[in-house]
Amino acid sequence: MNRLRLSLYVPGNTWVHRLDPVTKLIMAVVAVTLVFLLPGFGAAVALLAVSLGVLAAGGVLRRSVPVFAGVLVIALTFVVVQGLVYPGNQHPALTLGPITFYREGLLLGLRLTLRLFNILAATLVLILLTSPADLVESLVRRGVSPRFGYVLVSVLQIIPNMAAAAGTIMDAQRSRGMETEGSLWTRLRAFIPLMGPLVTSSLIATEERALALEVRGFSGNRKPTFLHEEVIPPYAWVIRALYLTALILAIAGRWMGWL
Amino acid sequence: MAYRRQSPWAFRFTTLTLVLIPVAVGINYVGKLFASTLKLPLWLDSIGTVLSGMLAGPWVGAISGAVNNIIFGLTADPISFWYLITSIAMGLVVGYLAFTGWINSFGRAVVLGFIVALVATVVSTPINVILWEGMTGNVWGDALYGALVDRGWPIWAASFLDELVVDVPDKLATVIISFLMYRALPRRLVGLFSGGDRVESF
Amino acid sequence: MAVIEVENLRYRYPQQTEPALDGISFTVEPGEFIGIIGPNRAGKSTLCQALVGLVPHFYQGSIGGRVVVAGLDVHRHPVSEVCRRVGLVFQSPFTQMSGAKFTVYDEVAFGLEHQGVPRDEMIRRIDHVLHLLGLWEVRDRNPFALSGGQMQRLAVASVLALQPQVLVLDEPTSQLDPAGTSEVFTAVTDLCRQGMTVVMAEHKVERLAERADRILVLHRGKCIAYGPPREVFSREDLPGLGVAIPPVTEACRRLGWRLPDGTYPVTVEEAVKIGGAARGGNPG
Repeated sequence: MNRLRLSLYVPGNTWVHRLDPVTKLIMAVVAVTLVFLLPGFGAAVALLAVSLGVLAAGGVLRRSVPVFAGVLVIALTFVVVQGLVYPGNQHPALTLGPITFYREGLLLGLRLTLRLFNILAATLVLILLTSPADLVESLVRRGVSPRFGYVLVSVLQIIPNMAAAAGTIMDAQRSRGMETEGSLWTRLRAFIPLMGPLVTSSLIATEERALALEVRGFSGNRKPTFLHEEVIPPYAWVIRALYLTALILAIAGRWMGWL
Repeated sequence: MAYRRQSPWAFRFTTLTLVLIPVAVGINYVGKLFASTLKLPLWLDSIGTVLSGMLAGPWVGAISGAVNNIIFGLTADPISFWYLITSIAMGLVVGYLAFTGWINSFGRAVVLGFIVALVATVVSTPINVILWEGMTGNVWGDALYGALVDRGWPIWAASFLDELVVDVPDKLATVIISFLMYRALPRRLVGLFSGGDRVESF
Repeated sequence: MAVIEVENLRYRYPQQTEPALDGISFTVEPGEFIGIIGPNRAGKSTLCQALVGLVPHFYQGSIGGRVVVAGLDVHRHPVSEVCRRVGLVFQSPFTQMSGAKFTVYDEVAFGLEHQGVPRDEMIRRIDHVLHLLGLWEVRDRNPFALSGGQMQRLAVASVLALQPQVLVLDEPTSQLDPAGTSEVFTAVTDLCRQGMTVVMAEHKVERLAERADRILVLHRGKCIAYGPPREVFSREDLPGLGVAIPPVTEACRRLGWRLPDGTYPVTVEEAVKIGGAARGGNPG
């Protein structure tokens, strides 16, 4: 079943999983905001520790590693380029032949890397530990238009379907002798016959899907009801309070000049 | 297109255009997939956003762009959240210009491609500066950025050029490919998307 | 009291000069099974869509005449209201899935949620239609993981959950294999036996001939025949107009095997009876 979903969501039954989606949304948004509010290495490291702790509690720490590794390349680019060319560079730290890395730039690169990992860790709490469909349904309960909710959820299902169709087309065109390797021009020319049929057929199919939704009462203005009931565990309120307090303190801190 | 009577900014939120949005996001995804399978030096990951703007106007184009980045932010690549505004801007610009005659011929579509590239660059540069001191994470663009900053260029200018060299070929190709696919669609369907027809009695 | 009354219905799509429907009138009694046949582009789909209000509300265009289904004037009410009285099932099982639900059970709930049906009532209705269409065992599967026949039955179930009095089906088996086709026909015939009014546009005329109470023949947007299958399929003018008739009827016509009322058989059973009698009368 999960094969047909576009989602990194890892189902489970830890206390993080049992939290309602809105609480996890608050956790992610607050953590990302704090990344930009709190200055200094110490705060960034502490924040990262908290997010990683939540990921560990949800049992997805290992699943997060590839995601972090994936952006490590970008992170390395930051460190290298800033180490070389940051305008504030003064103190040489490392010399490799004709190239000199400077301390200020390397530190800035490191700070950017930490920021990147912090943003990732905070959003991964939402991504790996919250079912996207549940998240959307929670938002619709709180006043997001059900039509917009439909759009968000149907993307999750349409993408795997279209990706599967893309694979089929790729195989079919290859077996008909289309060249998908070779010079840049050859590969560029292969793009249109691959893309064209899929785009045209999926756009034409929108008509019948729209008709089918219409006859199921999609465009009425009734207040929607929900098949699944929402459960908010009592400890979710404690967590919400903690995160929001941290946010208020950080904003106050910046405002009053404590930080 | 004689029957495009409505203002470009008319809200075209029918069930049909709502269904178009997920399809647009799917097309974005498949474009990216094919581009990487063919090892093209382009992303081609906004064909759906551009097509939805061409078919259903600026608002639907903008929402397709927004949903695209929200969904990929939530499921695959959290960083794409930050470029939400770039996608929205592209959808708006394509939608508005498409409904004011800028996809009536191939030549005009090419101009549209350059405009879209410029808009994407202008909007992305501040985001790059805020997030990564002006870099894009693209190896070639960042090499240029490094060289320029090394010569004493201001960060925002280096960052702008970094983004521009990456965006011009990509967005130009995206708009031209989208234009060709738009032209291949049945006219009846195009009319259905753009709306403006009324129920009359006879 | 007729459950469907169509009176001089005329319709033209936007940007078109020729009408798609041209002065159609007919009535359907509760519990009847009506088959709509005709060559391609005769207006079958347009007529089906006119019965639920997609024509004209979805497509716009020019409309004339009157369509009243289950007491509701279709031209004066939005599709979201009409769909509580009359359901429509389309050709492609795939595009009829909402695309926003991940199990069969939830898929049926989609329309009910949008109609604001209370949760207890929703569960009662979903359980009922899933049993009715033989989908209870697959209720936790992903809709897109079903076979074509199952998916099409799910489309029927999703529409029936809104408790319409009339079920309209627009070539529901054209994209199914023979097994899937039989599944759908059996399901629809069962529904009809339980009192549902059914209108079905279909190319497979021999299947309609077996089950329908009346056949409506469309040709270039006009209704050229409306009556019991034997009467309609015995008309001499249909093949010349490109309207398909059941192979059995065609064969009997060649053989001159007529029923006592002068019509030709439309099912194999009828033909066998006549054929047996014909042979018995002329031994050797």
